[in-house]
Amino acid sequence: MRAFEKNKRLILGAVGIFVFLCIWYIATKSTTLGKVMPDPVTVFGGFFTAFVEPIGTKTMTMHILISLRRMLVPYAIGGFTGVLIGILMGWYKVADAIFMPYIQMLRPIPPIAWIPLSIIWFGFDEGSKYFLIFLACFFTIALTTYNGVHSVDETLVRASRMLGANDRQLFMTIVLPTTVPYIFSGLQVALGSAWATIVAAEMIRSSEGVGWLIVRGQDIGNMTQIMIGIVAIALTGLLITTLMRVLENKLCAWTVRGK
Amino acid sequence: MEKKEAKVVVNHLTKKFGDLLVLDDLNFEVQEGEFLCIVGPTGCGKTTFLNSLTRLYEPTAGDILVNGIPVNPKTQNISYIFQEYSSFPWLTVEQNVRFGLEIKKTPKAEADANVEEMLDIVGLTKFRNYYPSQLSISMLQRVAIARAFATKPELLLMDEPYGQLDIDLRFKLEDELIKLWKKTGTTVLFITHNIEEAVYLSEKIMVLTNKPTSVKTVLDNNLPRPRDVTSPEFVELRNKVTDLIKWW
Ligand SMILES: Nc1ncnc2c1ncn2[C@@H]1O[C@H](COP(=O)(O)OP(=O)(O)OP(=O)(O)O)[C@@H](O)[C@H]1O
Ligand SMILES: [Mg+2]
Repeated sequence: MRAFEKNKRLILGAVGIFVFLCIWYIATKSTTLGKVMPDPVTVFGGFFTAFVEPIGTKTMTMHILISLRRMLVPYAIGGFTGVLIGILMGWYKVADAIFMPYIQMLRPIPPIAWIPLSIIWFGFDEGSKYFLIFLACFFTIALTTYNGVHSVDETLVRASRMLGANDRQLFMTIVLPTTVPYIFSGLQVALGSAWATIVAAEMIRSSEGVGWLIVRGQDIGNMTQIMIGIVAIALTGLLITTLMRVLENKLCAWTVRGK
Repeated sequence: MEKKEAKVVVNHLTKKFGDLLVLDDLNFEVQEGEFLCIVGPTGCGKTTFLNSLTRLYEPTAGDILVNGIPVNPKTQNISYIFQEYSSFPWLTVEQNVRFGLEIKKTPKAEADANVEEMLDIVGLTKFRNYYPSQLSISMLQRVAIARAFATKPELLLMDEPYGQLDIDLRFKLEDELIKLWKKTGTTVLFITHNIEEAVYLSEKIMVLTNKPTSVKTVLDNNLPRPRDVTSPEFVELRNKVTDLIKWW
């Protein structure tokens, strides 16, 4: 029964995508606007061909890997510092008072707005790209971690105080486990945002990467290459968020198993 | 000749929440190894009383001494079973029961033995690897009880622990509690609104007044064990306590 439900989800999802591809195909063949667009066969054909025939100087595998590294380095840094600052803010009122105004002010600024400044600060190389992606994930992770620390169940704190727990034990045995699911949901959302920012990051001078495919495609007016870039981002995004979910289910068994 | 040492001494315990006076100058002693049941009308401040006693709430005035020194859960082996359930959702049943032992850094062999014993008593051995979200309410309360007993506390505080259990399980756990109490010599303070339960369990029954709460009276309960809830003496004492609570 459950296996059927699971398959049903997959089947419905696949049908949805197939219908979308059909509409896309028909639209490119039979509407005026559609005539300037490549059809799905061309796009997906181009996407898979790119794994053997390079676009620019690199094959698709390299474009994806290079972009993934560009995203993962600042994502790891943002994850680490975000969790750290989030816990500090949640645990110490002083840290909350100091950091919260910055977070609230800086968070609404879209990464793309930082491009000029980041080039001045970090140059045209990887540094400025890292910076943009760091910004895209840091605030989310810090805030969800902060909320996690604040959601600690008072009864549990009292229970372990009564059993004689000191502050360190309280932190390790209650605050941390309570916060872990929040950290994961923050990491999950941030992973999406970080990956989505790859295009903005690769607008800063670059000669490879999935974002570059799009930026370059626009410069040379190659609609197919733009669409190939979009497909590459979409499929890679799906892959990494799925992997992240699997990891989360492994590490937070208690939240999943109960459902 | 030999007077038993007072385990718990409460002097002039007073607790206010803002202007609301809840506990009004409580004075009493509990002897080592005594089983004291505390009964009182709903909302009179029974939970507040235990919370003040353990300093989860800072009392407005008064002293509480355990073994002659001001109470401190960090250094004294006290267990407290709350009225609301409090199992750790990220720990399995077994890990929940082990929690207090780990906090207190009990040697592994002893901890293992205690955990096994408690799981067996509350009948959760088969469910040791379940998470709390997979258990029923009554099972959750058994986890809390097992966790509190596992550390073999010298002072055990229980706030209506059996209030939401079905009747069979309540009887079973009441008997288990008596067994444990006899075996370990723990001093027990047991809050309940169920007078029959109080008469069944206690050596002494403390009756509290309505808010602002003070000690109305303390009754001795010398009925022989095992107790028979239908015996005339039992019924008489039960009626006496009932009248004390009703009489304002
Ligand atoms: N943290 C708090 N802040 C303010 N008022 C409180 C607080 N805790 C309890 N009170 C008040 O103190 C009074 C006694 O509450 P308490 O929970 O101790 O009663 P109780 O005897 O345990 O009730 P019950 O039989 O429902 O368990 C109530 O009027 C309640 O509103
Ligand atoms: Mg209460």
